[in-house]
Amino acid sequence: MVDEQLLAKALDLALSQGVTYAEVRFQEDLTDSLIMRNGRVLSLSTSAIRGVGVRVLVGGALGFAATDRVTRESIESTVAEAISRARAITPLMKTPIEFDESRVGRASYEVASKKSFESFSLEDRVELGREVYKSIGNALKKARLSVLTFGFTTHTQRKLVLNSDGAYVRSSIPRISVWTNFVEHSPDKGTIQRFIDFGAVGGVEWLKEWKVVDEASQEASNLERVLLEGVEPPKEDVDVVVGSEIVGLIVHESAGHPMEADRILGREAAQAGESYVKPDMIGVFEVGNKYATVIEDPTIPGSYGFYLYDDEGVPARARHLYREGLLYEPLHNRHTAKVFRTHSNGAARAMNYASEPIIRMSNTYLKPGDMDFEELLEDVKLGVYMKSYMEWNIDDVRWNQRYVGLESYLIVGGEISKPVRNPVLEVTTKGFYSKISGAGRDLKFYPGTCGKGEPSQGVPVWFGGPDVKLTKIKLGVAV
Amino acid sequence: MSARELASRVLYELKEKFDNVAVKVVSRDSVMLKIWNNQPGVLQMWRDFITYLLLGKQRRVAILEFRVSSPEEVVSAVRRIEDYVVRVEESELYADLPEVKKPALLQGGHDKKVVEYLSDPKPLAEAMVTSALNSGAERVAGTLELEDIEIAVATSRGFDEVYRKTEVMAYLRSFRGDVSGHWAWGSTSLDLKSLGEVGSRSAEVLNYARTKSVFTPGRYDVILSPLVIGNLMNYVASMASGMAILIGMSFLAKKNIGDLVASESFTLVDIPRDTSLPGFTPFDDEGVETYNKPIIDRGKLSSILHNTATGRIFRSPSTGNAGWTNPRPWNLVIEAGNSSLDDMISDVDKGYIILNNWYTRLQNYVEGQFSTVARDLVLEVRDGSIEGYVDRVRIADRFETLLKSVKAMSRDLYDVAWWEVRIPTRAPYVLVENINLTKPAI
Repeated sequence: MVDEQLLAKALDLALSQGVTYAEVRFQEDLTDSLIMRNGRVLSLSTSAIRGVGVRVLVGGALGFAATDRVTRESIESTVAEAISRARAITPLMKTPIEFDESRVGRASYEVASKKSFESFSLEDRVELGREVYKSIGNALKKARLSVLTFGFTTHTQRKLVLNSDGAYVRSSIPRISVWTNFVEHSPDKGTIQRFIDFGAVGGVEWLKEWKVVDEASQEASNLERVLLEGVEPPKEDVDVVVGSEIVGLIVHESAGHPMEADRILGREAAQAGESYVKPDMIGVFEVGNKYATVIEDPTIPGSYGFYLYDDEGVPARARHLYREGLLYEPLHNRHTAKVFRTHSNGAARAMNYASEPIIRMSNTYLKPGDMDFEELLEDVKLGVYMKSYMEWNIDDVRWNQRYVGLESYLIVGGEISKPVRNPVLEVTTKGFYSKISGAGRDLKFYPGTCGKGEPSQGVPVWFGGPDVKLTKIKLGVAV
Repeated sequence: MSARELASRVLYELKEKFDNVAVKVVSRDSVMLKIWNNQPGVLQMWRDFITYLLLGKQRRVAILEFRVSSPEEVVSAVRRIEDYVVRVEESELYADLPEVKKPALLQGGHDKKVVEYLSDPKPLAEAMVTSALNSGAERVAGTLELEDIEIAVATSRGFDEVYRKTEVMAYLRSFRGDVSGHWAWGSTSLDLKSLGEVGSRSAEVLNYARTKSVFTPGRYDVILSPLVIGNLMNYVASMASGMAILIGMSFLAKKNIGDLVASESFTLVDIPRDTSLPGFTPFDDEGVETYNKPIIDRGKLSSILHNTATGRIFRSPSTGNAGWTNPRPWNLVIEAGNSSLDDMISDVDKGYIILNNWYTRLQNYVEGQFSTVARDLVLEVRDGSIEGYVDRVRIADRFETLLKSVKAMSRDLYDVAWWEVRIPTRAPYVLVENINLTKPAI
């Protein structure tokens, strides 16, 4: 991967120059992608992004520098620059930055794919894209498939992290993802658009589980009904069953992000925003009812956000962000942990060698309940089931949010009825977590690329949950 | 090794092995100071080469990106692609790279002062923060980025050019109590007055936060700040890409050149040859000379942005907007009107001024259904005066409705670039009528 002596010497060099903390990270990201349109190949793409990132803490100021030249000279000059430029801003540090004394690890781990990327040839990948296109076209009875794009990506990420507190973490993680985006058209009813993606850590063994062709064509068929037969959602307050795909997104946006301690402290204030959570609300503020338990766990095998040690060398573990309605444990790195007088819970991750490690989610989910889907529906006289979405957003303190249902149905007398077009769930964080009156027992995960930081860093995550029932919600409709 | 030498060397190694080769090398020396709670959070710096390759063989296309140590590594990595690329079918996106004339290079766009401050941006950050604090902010957060960039493009059709530019991106968010303001500036040159204004403009608006009002969802006349219209026009201009139209990611897919897509007072122009904005470039990624062009001209759709390949599909010449796969706008300007911000406010009986936004997302790109959330202050306007403020309302409408609802633009334009305006944009304040605003009830 890299000559680790190069990194060790760089660390020694930093320590010899009076830094409080130093961290040297080699990272290599290798990606292969295929993009197709309407069953035909548009392009292949490949990227190799490899280099060394150096972070130092000197005089209470944090400096980060990166180089794509993995040579002794280049790494040493990167260390020197990180130190000198960080030192130059120390006069501005009214509150010096400090790191906590978290236990760091010495470990080497590698995720082994059951079926290697190479075992699914380029021709196999193209054939999968063709099958998705054909099957969706065949699934539509009246509407027309206007356009379909398809992507297949493999990604291998290798890291070696060394820091001045003794961390040594070597890792290798393969990821696979498949996505499709399609538009259905009816002359009378306009268009409907859907983006579906699948992603996980591992190899092409995931394709068997995902059943991409069957899933995509079934969704296309269901969405044709929504396009052709969809009615407006009820105007009165109704019970709403929110599908696990939307629940997963909601917990990512309204539990995961606001419980990132760097946001709580204001470090992301001008970019990805702050949080409605203030430090003194942890363990005190009730954001919801007994169903509001949200867990963040990087250690789930096969998960898209999987890792065992973070990029500060801290061992990963599951964290309860919300527990039975109470704000419970924020995501920490070693800096925020010091401010909160606790220990890091291993949430620092960097997108690539040229990115500073910052607090990131990994795999975030709402704790499942004990009901099956029929039980969630059975008491609903009139309601709406929102299964999937396209449009969503949330404000910069993670309080006021909107999700527009895509595949959605009326619930009448406890049963799924007509399709509904573009219902809007617009709700506050407390509004959502306080209105849950039932949760399904099935836990499902969905992949995403979470953006944060400046320069913006996209990292792979899973988000998930069960289907949940909300009591008496007024839905809107997209214009 | 310079960016041009690296591009030429990689091209030399590959041009006999492929029918089409384009190499783009970006060499950058950058520093970014991230500010929070009135002090630096981190100082980041990068010195690296990013090498991009377009390879065409037997009408197949591959796009590659490398950040590695040497040209040898690039060439070595490409060996795998050589056999790999011909195993797929011909691409409808394939087009022979164009034979191009030597482009007219551009004067300006590189400021030595930016380079001087790369080694110590502290005084500039201090100026921004001090300006905000002196204008009434209690605390500030933001970013100052300085870049010295060299961009070289070499193609197997004999094109081999390079240009250099500097970039400044500065934005600051000012807080007082539970309210905030925000301003941003993007340029190729350093101007201390503009940097100071990033601070003062982000803070001065806090003085309007006197009375918090109750918000009722509905349709209102809305004044969009340069930051907000800049963000929304980043989406609109990106949807003018030929590729966005081909893959169903654009509401312009249903339109033809000449169709009315906006108010007749509204003009949106791609201006790659304006060297004061940091997205400028004399040539695109295929070596085609760039030119300024309206995307929307007095309300009518005027240009779809093309590279050679999408142009071939649309039977249009390249518009100098390559991007090898996806044509893209370089710099944007929304043409000025003849109003002042005060004129606009006095024209609004019942409406709002939205000063900043984020999280623009679409339910359906083909229909242009979108929403975006206000961040920072939203000022309430009643009977021509600012009466109070609300926060975090949401615009939820369609792009075509919004564009056709434009009533007025300010005569003053502002150069903005920040986290939510990645394509540098010169924008006025814009008054739009009867726009749907929402906010949750619970």
